Amino acid sequence: MSGPDDSGRRGQPAGRGESSGGGGPGGRARPGSDGFSAIGRPMRKVDGLDKATGRARYTDDIRLPGMLHGKILRSPHPHARIVAIDTSPAERMKGVHAVVTGRDMPVTYGIIPWTPDEYPLCLDRVRYIGDGVAAVAAVDEDTATAALEHIKVAYEELPAYLTPHEAIAASVGPYIHEPRKEGQNGNITKVVKLAFGDVEDGLEGADIVVEGDYFFQGTTHTPIEPHCAIGMADGAGKVTVWSATQVPHYLHRELARVLGLDPAKVRVIQPPVGGAFGGKSEPFDLEFCVAKLAMKTGRPVKILYTREEVFYSHRGRHPFHMRYRTGVRRDGRLTAVDAQIVMDGGAYASFGLVTTYYSGQLLTAPYKMPAYRFHSTRAYTNKPACGPKRGHGSVQPRFAFEVQLDRIAEALSIDPIELRRRNFIGSGTRTVNDFRVTSNGFLECLDAVERSSDWKAKFGNLPFGRGVGVAGSTYISGTNYPIYPNDMPQSGIQLQVDRSGRVSVFSGASEIGQGADSMVAYIVVEELGVPLDHVRVFAGDTDFTPVDLGAYSSRVTFMLGNACIQAARRIKRQVQEAVARVWRVKPGEVLLAGGLALRAGDTGVCMPIREAFNLAEAKFGTLGATGSYNTPKDIHGEYRGATIGSSPAYSFTAHVAEVEVDPETGFVEVKKIWIAHDCGRALNPVLVEGQMEGSAYMGFAEALMEEQIFKTADQGRAGLHNAPSLLDYRIPTSLDTPALESLIIESVDPEGPYGAKEAGEGPLHPSIPAIANAIYDAVGVRMDALPFSPPRVWRALQRVNGSGACPGRAPQPRFEKMPAAPWREAHGGRVGPGRGEGRNGA
Amino acid sequence: MLRLHPFRYHRPTTVEEATSLLDELGPDALPMAGGTDLMPNMKHRLFTPEHVVALNGIEAMRGVDGGGKAGSLRIGALETLHSVSVHPAVRRHLPGLAQAAGSVAGPQHRNVGTLGGNICLDTRCTYYNQTEFWRRALGYCLKKDGTVCHVTKVGRKCVAAHSADTPPSLMALGAKFTLAGPRGTREIDAANFFVADGVLNTRRARNEILTEVTIPVFAGRRSAYRKLRQRNAIDFPLLSVAVVADFQEDGIVASLKGVVSALGARPRMLTGWEEMAAGHRLDPGLVQALAERAGAQCRPLDNMIVDPQWRRAMVPVYVRRALEGVA
Amino acid sequence: MEVVRLRVNGDERVCGVPAHYTLLETLRYGLGLTGSKQGCDKGDCGACTVILDDRAVLACITPVLEAEGRKVRTVEGLANGTELHPIQDEFDLNGAAQCGFCTPGILCSSVVLLERNSSPSREEIRAALAGNLCRCTGYAKIYDAVEAAATRMRR
Repeated sequence: MSGPDDSGRRGQPAGRGESSGGGGPGGRARPGSDGFSAIGRPMRKVDGLDKATGRARYTDDIRLPGMLHGKILRSPHPHARIVAIDTSPAERMKGVHAVVTGRDMPVTYGIIPWTPDEYPLCLDRVRYIGDGVAAVAAVDEDTATAALEHIKVAYEELPAYLTPHEAIAASVGPYIHEPRKEGQNGNITKVVKLAFGDVEDGLEGADIVVEGDYFFQGTTHTPIEPHCAIGMADGAGKVTVWSATQVPHYLHRELARVLGLDPAKVRVIQPPVGGAFGGKSEPFDLEFCVAKLAMKTGRPVKILYTREEVFYSHRGRHPFHMRYRTGVRRDGRLTAVDAQIVMDGGAYASFGLVTTYYSGQLLTAPYKMPAYRFHSTRAYTNKPACGPKRGHGSVQPRFAFEVQLDRIAEALSIDPIELRRRNFIGSGTRTVNDFRVTSNGFLECLDAVERSSDWKAKFGNLPFGRGVGVAGSTYISGTNYPIYPNDMPQSGIQLQVDRSGRVSVFSGASEIGQGADSMVAYIVVEELGVPLDHVRVFAGDTDFTPVDLGAYSSRVTFMLGNACIQAARRIKRQVQEAVARVWRVKPGEVLLAGGLALRAGDTGVCMPIREAFNLAEAKFGTLGATGSYNTPKDIHGEYRGATIGSSPAYSFTAHVAEVEVDPETGFVEVKKIWIAHDCGRALNPVLVEGQMEGSAYMGFAEALMEEQIFKTADQGRAGLHNAPSLLDYRIPTSLDTPALESLIIESVDPEGPYGAKEAGEGPLHPSIPAIANAIYDAVGVRMDALPFSPPRVWRALQRVNGSGACPGRAPQPRFEKMPAAPWREAHGGRVGPGRGEGRNGA
Repeated sequence: MLRLHPFRYHRPTTVEEATSLLDELGPDALPMAGGTDLMPNMKHRLFTPEHVVALNGIEAMRGVDGGGKAGSLRIGALETLHSVSVHPAVRRHLPGLAQAAGSVAGPQHRNVGTLGGNICLDTRCTYYNQTEFWRRALGYCLKKDGTVCHVTKVGRKCVAAHSADTPPSLMALGAKFTLAGPRGTREIDAANFFVADGVLNTRRARNEILTEVTIPVFAGRRSAYRKLRQRNAIDFPLLSVAVVADFQEDGIVASLKGVVSALGARPRMLTGWEEMAAGHRLDPGLVQALAERAGAQCRPLDNMIVDPQWRRAMVPVYVRRALEGVA
Repeated sequence: MEVVRLRVNGDERVCGVPAHYTLLETLRYGLGLTGSKQGCDKGDCGACTVILDDRAVLACITPVLEAEGRKVRTVEGLANGTELHPIQDEFDLNGAAQCGFCTPGILCSSVVLLERNSSPSREEIRAALAGNLCRCTGYAKIYDAVEAAATRMRR
């Protein structure tokens, strides 16, 4: 690569692509030996240079004429009744244009239609420190901030619940939410009990049963971009909201419903998003507030969260208290798995109903389980609401389960990788909870990490302080059902071809950094043979783009990719037919590649692709096509809840982590993580590697340092976030992050686009247990509670070596163990799925 | 975004101008060097001065001068932490100081943050370095706007932690600070500069400016700095240890000083070391004994978000590692 | 209101802002140079990193009057006219920008590094970027891009 003239070669595959034969003169891709011309090649991203030059315009970069700035007043109490609000002193302030409170938008919402338990602004009750109470629009940010001081709110404090165990044990109100039925405990969001096969029998028949309690701390997404939204009302009933969201469609629906607007007159625009990771996957208070304030003032209104507010909005990883019993035969084969999970949900349901299912449903691969049951309870607490973070609901149980496997391997003296191989579930099969599994490259993943990490030489053989650990996992490529029941497609796309040879793509999907826009462009290049820089992608604008459900649950490549192939092939057929008539050949003999239409078998016969498009337009009229994708419906069982966790395809991952533990201080240095991931097919290996590395990094971060901590009453203020800043909520710097090696495994899924499956979330899971298992290999302590921060590792080592270092002090409890019985039954929490939930698939 | 409160900005170009401005403007004025500590603190409304007196325009407060006075190094207080950490004379004669300056925060902070600013850094506490909203939800604290210390629960004295990296080294090295005020300049030993009050932990008067640091240089002197933190960059110390040792030609310890900080409001000069070490070789047995003695003198409080028992247990470990750095 | 003169990306700019504005607020909201990002509010993340007189600094905690009369380079000023800075091109080629929000700051820190050190080791790159948090990439592709840019610039 060289020099200034490169900027004119945007259509060309990047660096490595040229050496693999993908590139040609003029920036045109030609077919390689695998038959693809663009797929599988490292190509530039369609938005790469916009992001490297500062041209990309994120939400806070947008400034509209006459725009006002908004701020939200937040609750200083973890749990209180709102007795009175007086906004008049603020309204009288110079520069203040409007103030809204909960009474302006008294409609509940929730991302899951069965659990609407939030108001855009609190109506009569606040449920955590940071809950939104009122919002101001003013001439500038300073004035809006000052105006918050002049909104007078009288509160009556209520007892706060800080742990799920306290919340579940409550027998009288006031609960955090009103019970659905009298006599129930309003502190429980959801209880799920599902059993498959005879677990008691399996445990009884096992040669050994390993039992363990585990704790996974809460963590939060921490995108570098804080949430931001702008509202605009045109005075004729149309409302536009720009937002840093990963779900424009769901936001569109909820804005219309809550604000009482005709959905046809609501427009949501999603500018480039500066990181999301699940943290922007449901509506937030600021989106309703900017819309309402814009409607009230007739002026555009922007709200940008402070970093502190990002921590309060949260919706991150739930803290899980987990107990596992795993039965296994002497040869290492699993006989039964029994799980009990208590989840700390925070103040609102968010995706919690789904999380409660996922906590159990997503554990049933890549290992064959003859019998399995789980009993999960999600409790409300007076803290910011938890929700979906990368690897939603399944990262926590995966940590516990893969540590269980490591303990089993040790007990049976079986190599941990070999143990995992022996339990491989296979491809083309069904899980114990009746999910269809298609392609499965897990064995190849294990082989790859074993070989690359030099596992056989290292495991059990490194000097004290150094160790390696392995773990595996699976994840969904999208959920089989949308969040609200409907039979329409999950993904839609529209292509339009111009006489210039340019192809415009109208994509409903959300580009959040993962490459959603580039992915559809590569498909267009592959199918229609145009250079990459002749493809324009317009995405995330509900006025112009077909509905796609959003960038969550790793659904975009699988679903939108298939939709895009369908649309592109519809156009391709027309172009082939038109050219074939001129050349007097069969349409199938016309190839589109490298910017040309070529005749199969005699590529000397060719024409520029633009001429081919023009022929097609002359024959068929304006060229355009739509494509859509919906999931197959026969890929899961019939029991209640069977749809939740089912996916058209599953990805598989294995990691080996190598660590060095300083036994004196407890510091764990992760030297390297080898990441093998079965993504079906890598549509662009550079982007797949980026997802694998970013995922492994994020898991590593949760393993070693990240933790959402809240103060107790004893520590000054119950429910107060310990440190809502990027200084004290520590995410790894470049000097902390280990070396990462990506090993792409391609199992070529029968239903994925060109065989592709997800890559954005699965590769996070094994990081955490692989590191835990490596710590055990290094220093012989089982880390059963996250994070493996120096103090925790140090304490674990102290326990093993006697309590020499803390003379005169009682040993600290490591974490709150699963209570023996009382939380198990009754308490009014509903058991099993409720009416209609069976069709819910989020 | 978190924004600053309105203030007036002054940019004097001489020390005299700066000190008379501070004197005239009274308590509503604060001096600022690099601003990497003051600006975030102002965004948190921990300080809301009407006037900010920026010192960066005072050229006389720059420069590293090792030739003027034999046996000492003079560092202008406005020298950035980056320039201190890479300066050849500092690295050669005062490696412990170079290590300390190079371990402050992140690279961008060190490009702007100054040695003088680091010395005058405000103390830190989990109940204090928070936004106005957060502190209101807490009910404020003794150090700022409140009446209760949430760390000690009972005490009337603020225990916010001294969190600067360079002062422990400077104290152990026997540095002197020059303070300029409206009525002239004075010198103060680094060891006497800090007081055990978390609200205001230095002897710098409000209208004084720390203009330069003078550090004695001895041939053969060794120094080292070790910092406990959870990330390898950006973080403030959870514990910091500086040691300085002079040796006779035969390798026998002539003098040994150690300072431990980031635990309370004032860096602690370790006591009893000279008696234990002088006249002996700094062998592993002595190092361990010195480290244990240091451990017995230090009791971390809950002023940071970290397990206090672990932090306490790390004192002898880090002291030993610092000593190993000079042995 | 203060009238501030800044030398931004080679242009002499005059801007009226209140004295309490930061350099970042002035660039973004005063001059419309929105490439530099705000991530943490107070100097903890590095997204606002710009080059002030050849040093990487945090614009969100730099009072605008501190930049008066000084040379400011932002992501918008890294290219030389139509010629991209090699680091910009290599970021694209190597997939070093995912969400892109930390990218402007990381580019500025990288450019300063490359101006001082034409063949930085991976350890030197890690150290130079230690004040720039990236949440997407795990940093690996960023190192690749910086190394590739250094190679290109040495040619």
